Amino acid sequence: MNIAQQIVNGLVLGSGYACIALGWTILLGVARLVNFAHGQLYMLGAFATWYAMTRLDLPYPLAILAAIVALAVLGALMQSAMMGLVMTQNLTSLMIVTLGLGYVLQGASALIFGGNPQTLPGTLSRAKVDLGSLWFTWQDVLVLAATLALYGAVWLFTQKTRFGSVIRAVAEDPKLAELFGINAKIVYLLVFVFECAAVALGAALVAPRSPILTSMGFNEVIMTFVVVVLGGIGSIGGALVAGLGLGLFIAFFGAFVAHAYTTAAAFAVLLALLVVRPAGLAAK
Amino acid sequence: MTVIESHSTNQLPVVRSAAIAVLIAVGFFLPRLLGGTSVAYSTLTTIAIFAVMCYGVDVVLSYLGEVSLGHTLFWAVGGYTAANLSVKYGLNGWSTALATVGLCIVAAGFLGAVTLRTREFVFSLVTYAAAVVAYEIAFNWDAIGGSDGIVGISALKLPFGFATYVGGTQEELWPIAFVLLLLTLAFIARFRRSRLGTTALMVQMNPPLAASLGIDPRKVRLAVFLISAPITGLAGWLYAYQRAYVGPDMFESYFLVMMLTAVVLIGRRVLVGPLIGTAILIAQQNLLSLGGDWNKIILGSVLALVLIFWPTGLVGFFRRFGKTRA
Repeated sequence: MNIAQQIVNGLVLGSGYACIALGWTILLGVARLVNFAHGQLYMLGAFATWYAMTRLDLPYPLAILAAIVALAVLGALMQSAMMGLVMTQNLTSLMIVTLGLGYVLQGASALIFGGNPQTLPGTLSRAKVDLGSLWFTWQDVLVLAATLALYGAVWLFTQKTRFGSVIRAVAEDPKLAELFGINAKIVYLLVFVFECAAVALGAALVAPRSPILTSMGFNEVIMTFVVVVLGGIGSIGGALVAGLGLGLFIAFFGAFVAHAYTTAAAFAVLLALLVVRPAGLAAK
Repeated sequence: MTVIESHSTNQLPVVRSAAIAVLIAVGFFLPRLLGGTSVAYSTLTTIAIFAVMCYGVDVVLSYLGEVSLGHTLFWAVGGYTAANLSVKYGLNGWSTALATVGLCIVAAGFLGAVTLRTREFVFSLVTYAAAVVAYEIAFNWDAIGGSDGIVGISALKLPFGFATYVGGTQEELWPIAFVLLLLTLAFIARFRRSRLGTTALMVQMNPPLAASLGIDPRKVRLAVFLISAPITGLAGWLYAYQRAYVGPDMFESYFLVMMLTAVVLIGRRVLVGPLIGTAILIAQQNLLSLGGDWNKIILGSVLALVLIFWPTGLVGFFRRFGKTRA
């Protein structure tokens, strides 16, 4: 039976969800900011990697780096533009502004990269591993390993270093943090730049699995929402567990119920959770 | 901050009524005044339909202070209801409109009940997710159109007992769109002065005061969300007849960005704000179009820039400008 294969598929999918959601978890959970351009940033990260590999002939690791740098710069620009709203904690306007910026990114990407679907060239995603009746690719192994390493690093950084507590202090009360000599603007800028860089890395790792289009990104946003809310907003460990759990759920749902309605199924899980536990699974 | 304009209305009710009557008459004959071409009719009909669509979001955004990213869902409910009921069962416009209102209230009731206990961004996030999921369902479910949508929606028929109004062409649809817009404006104007409208504003601006008066903010939020849904839904209903086609493209983020931009461009809590905003945006897209991708960049930039530089919209900008001059 292919139950074991579905578990493998679930871990593969789930590590991808968790990887893409990492930046959002930090942004929302630690700095209490939102970014509805997340899906378009994912799309742009994938296209930046594709452009670096096919047009600039960079090897895959360098292309990933190029995508991270490109999106970090973009993130710095976006956050600088929105700084007034961030400092006044105007979340309502921030949501709408990021949504508008995401729409701009979608239009600009269609102009730059064209409307045709593209595939990221990759040797890893074609290198299959067969273990008896199970199979996966080396790209999948890379995504899982990178996701675990990233979550570990980010957890250590936010929980065990001084900078982690500085971010939390700013999120709690930016004005008060400034009184203690913390430059809240720099902190917000760095967190947002991290979000963009993290989603670029996630895109560079996950996107080789399927064709990429400039109109994509919605599915990734929904999965990110579900992962972040399911994991308990801001909980890093929770997001990792929620990502893997969601991956397993989607793999089994897709295999045994209906492949076309997987996003709807993930959403149903989210709704059920919101009714039962509005603060998320990890909340005490 | 912003206050609802207290019109000095009571002194001159006759003048005011006359002015409104003249405005309505000019509005009705506007396509003819603009040359009476089919482009004029279709552009103004589109503006009227889109303005009604935006008023649904306006109610939630301006008076509740919440961002609903799920109103494309109600827009699509309207379109799909009109298309399915008129093509498959041959129902007339009244029946499809009534079904639209009913289904929108059911959908909004479900979404509102589920998000009742959520905080502001989770509300936006869930409404956004709901629209994406509804898109997935509309795209895959062949019984309601599937990925191809429904083509060949017949002309809108509104029987009045003795005669039937048929809206086949853009010119014939204009009066219907215009009346729908007027009804919406009247409804919003009434809502602003209603107990629910003022309570919603109080919950948004001064939650402690609302709490001390024994108001349950959840009930107010749900009620406002419920009445906002059929407004956008009825716009979608008419849009289906105007295009004679509905498909999953009704969920496109274009409509969502359009709704939000039209509301914030002129300024929240301005009665005719969404109408003027829609008119400016549609005029750019229809008459000064630079191509689809450039239009996206323009629309998204307008939304972002207005909120960053003039959070109170163009109204606030001109007010401030006027103050510094005076």
